[in-house]
Amino acid sequence: MSHSLEPSRLMVALHALPSVLLQSAFFVVPLCMTIALSFQETQYYQVQWVWSLTTWTEIFTTYYYWKILFNTVLMSLACVGLCAMIGFPIAYALVTRFQKWQATIKILLVFAFLTDAVLKTFGWVVFLDQTGPANFVLNFLGLPDLPDWVIYSRVSVLFGMVYTLLPFSIFTIYLSVDMIDKNLLRAAYDCGASKFRAFYEVTLPLCKNGLMAGALLVFVLSLGSFLEPKVLGGGKNPMAAELIRQTFETRINWPLGSALTIVVISITVITILLASRLLDLGQGRKK
Amino acid sequence: MPKDICTIQGVIKNYGNFRALHGIDLHVQKGEFIALVGPSGSGKSTLLQIISGFEAPSEGRLLIDGVDMTDVAPADRPTSMVFQKLALFPHKTIAENIGFPLKLRKVPKAEIAKRTREMLDLMELKPEYLNRYPAQLSGGEQQRVALARSMISHPKLLLLDEPLSALDVKLKKVLQTELKRLHRSLGVTFIHVTHDLEEAMMLADHICVMQNGLLLQVGTPDDIYYRPTHRFVAEFIGETNLFPVKAGQNGSYEIEELPGARGVSSFGGEGVQSDTAYLMVRPEFLHLAAPDHDLDVTIDIVVSETFNHGSTTQVKAVTREGNHIITLEIQGHLDEAVDIGAHLTVGWHDTDTHLFARTADKMEFAA
Repeated sequence: MSHSLEPSRLMVALHALPSVLLQSAFFVVPLCMTIALSFQETQYYQVQWVWSLTTWTEIFTTYYYWKILFNTVLMSLACVGLCAMIGFPIAYALVTRFQKWQATIKILLVFAFLTDAVLKTFGWVVFLDQTGPANFVLNFLGLPDLPDWVIYSRVSVLFGMVYTLLPFSIFTIYLSVDMIDKNLLRAAYDCGASKFRAFYEVTLPLCKNGLMAGALLVFVLSLGSFLEPKVLGGGKNPMAAELIRQTFETRINWPLGSALTIVVISITVITILLASRLLDLGQGRKK
Repeated sequence: MPKDICTIQGVIKNYGNFRALHGIDLHVQKGEFIALVGPSGSGKSTLLQIISGFEAPSEGRLLIDGVDMTDVAPADRPTSMVFQKLALFPHKTIAENIGFPLKLRKVPKAEIAKRTREMLDLMELKPEYLNRYPAQLSGGEQQRVALARSMISHPKLLLLDEPLSALDVKLKKVLQTELKRLHRSLGVTFIHVTHDLEEAMMLADHICVMQNGLLLQVGTPDDIYYRPTHRFVAEFIGETNLFPVKAGQNGSYEIEELPGARGVSSFGGEGVQSDTAYLMVRPEFLHLAAPDHDLDVTIDIVVSETFNHGSTTQVKAVTREGNHIITLEIQGHLDEAVDIGAHLTVGWHDTDTHLFARTADKMEFAA
């Protein structure tokens, strides 16, 4: 037998071991614990180690939880739609125009992206508050105050989510647009396509995967938003993450919190599975 | 006289301070196969981009079939381009790729399908490829698909931007033959850009040799090979022997410096507008001196290297006096092995030589 350059299976296993251990310790084990915890009972703020379906029965029979979960999915979908609609033109313009300013714009985007979300979110509260600088400037100019719905409403929550998650959308779309061979567009023009037609026939289908990947990323992150609903929503529009936090911390009902966590994780996993089926991830360019 | 399909008048292209094209004039006749040849940076691709409309000339004019193309977008020009990296649409099937130009022209679907099939047959591609994607085809097959897409809309001018440069030698030869066959059977005018003069000689009716944004010479492959007008052209294909000559009395030229040459005659340099010139002797026109050979000029050489080219043998040598490098190409393989260090006598017939002005070189660099 010839000496193969491929490492032996044992070596591969050894190399993978640290990663496997790390994943197990910090992902698989906690997940299993969460699942186990959701089948326990609670009494006087104490977890009772009794296997039961009480928590799950409560979840499936309580309208309020599902209302919040539905609201969360709805808000996330809206956020995905807005991020794609705002992110695509920005990403497309970054690739095709502003060649001179591209680097500067990218750095600014990264700065905005890396600034702590708490800071940014509270910044908006301060700015948009009734006694904040926004109203001050408006009043100074002789204009009326901002309408009520600008802050502590669904609109402001959505605004905050889009504001925080837009960079994810822009960066994934930017990459997919940037990767398109410019000669393909030239070829389309050469074949007789107008600018719009070339965009529709070439650019759009080729960055479909980028758009979908960006949407998926934004959706998953949106499901977990807790800062925006809490801070910009003024507590009036709780979303799933905030509900889970309250269940654990305020109500001290760990089994229920665990069960709600699993519901949210399930929604996430199902979405990812559906999306990857839709995208045929890993199958390359074949349809 | 046949009509010009493409006329280029005084085309200059500047990129900032850099001048890529220094006033190009070229007439391309209908049905011709034209090759634009030159090293990278010679401006050949820029010229093609200007014809296709992807670049606008800084000065000068371009006419296609008698129509000024200044304000005509690439999409509306009767030209079609085969890109260097083919630029097939990876998300479209072969059928969709080939039929794309017709789809844009709102040709009925049945007609598109019919013409796509015709192109497929013409390119000798299998019908089952129609529903495959470009990535599933080999390099040569992709090449044929790219050609099919360019030809389906019946362009007046087919522009080829080094589409063969990335292929291996064997496939390249096959596709070169294919291109020539296509050109003959379709009667479309081809403008082919390449850095490979041998490829250009093989394919083209007329070759335009470019260097540093100048069109040095336009001519048939024979003109380019046997009657170059510039040292750059003479040396661009294969190796050659150039001897500096200067004008003597009554319009004839004499070799300036070639010690040991016997029977040096003078050469009539008709049309050479210069006092100094080069005398070119192609390696295959240098013969070994033999009693039955009536050579005009002979010289003694010492062999420094031999290369077996199969049907010919190339001999590199230096003259015994003066150490001038000489290259010979001898038909067949040599009966007696020519050893390195062997002393030979070689020579040429004056009728096999070609004279061209030497000053032209300086012009190129000043430009």
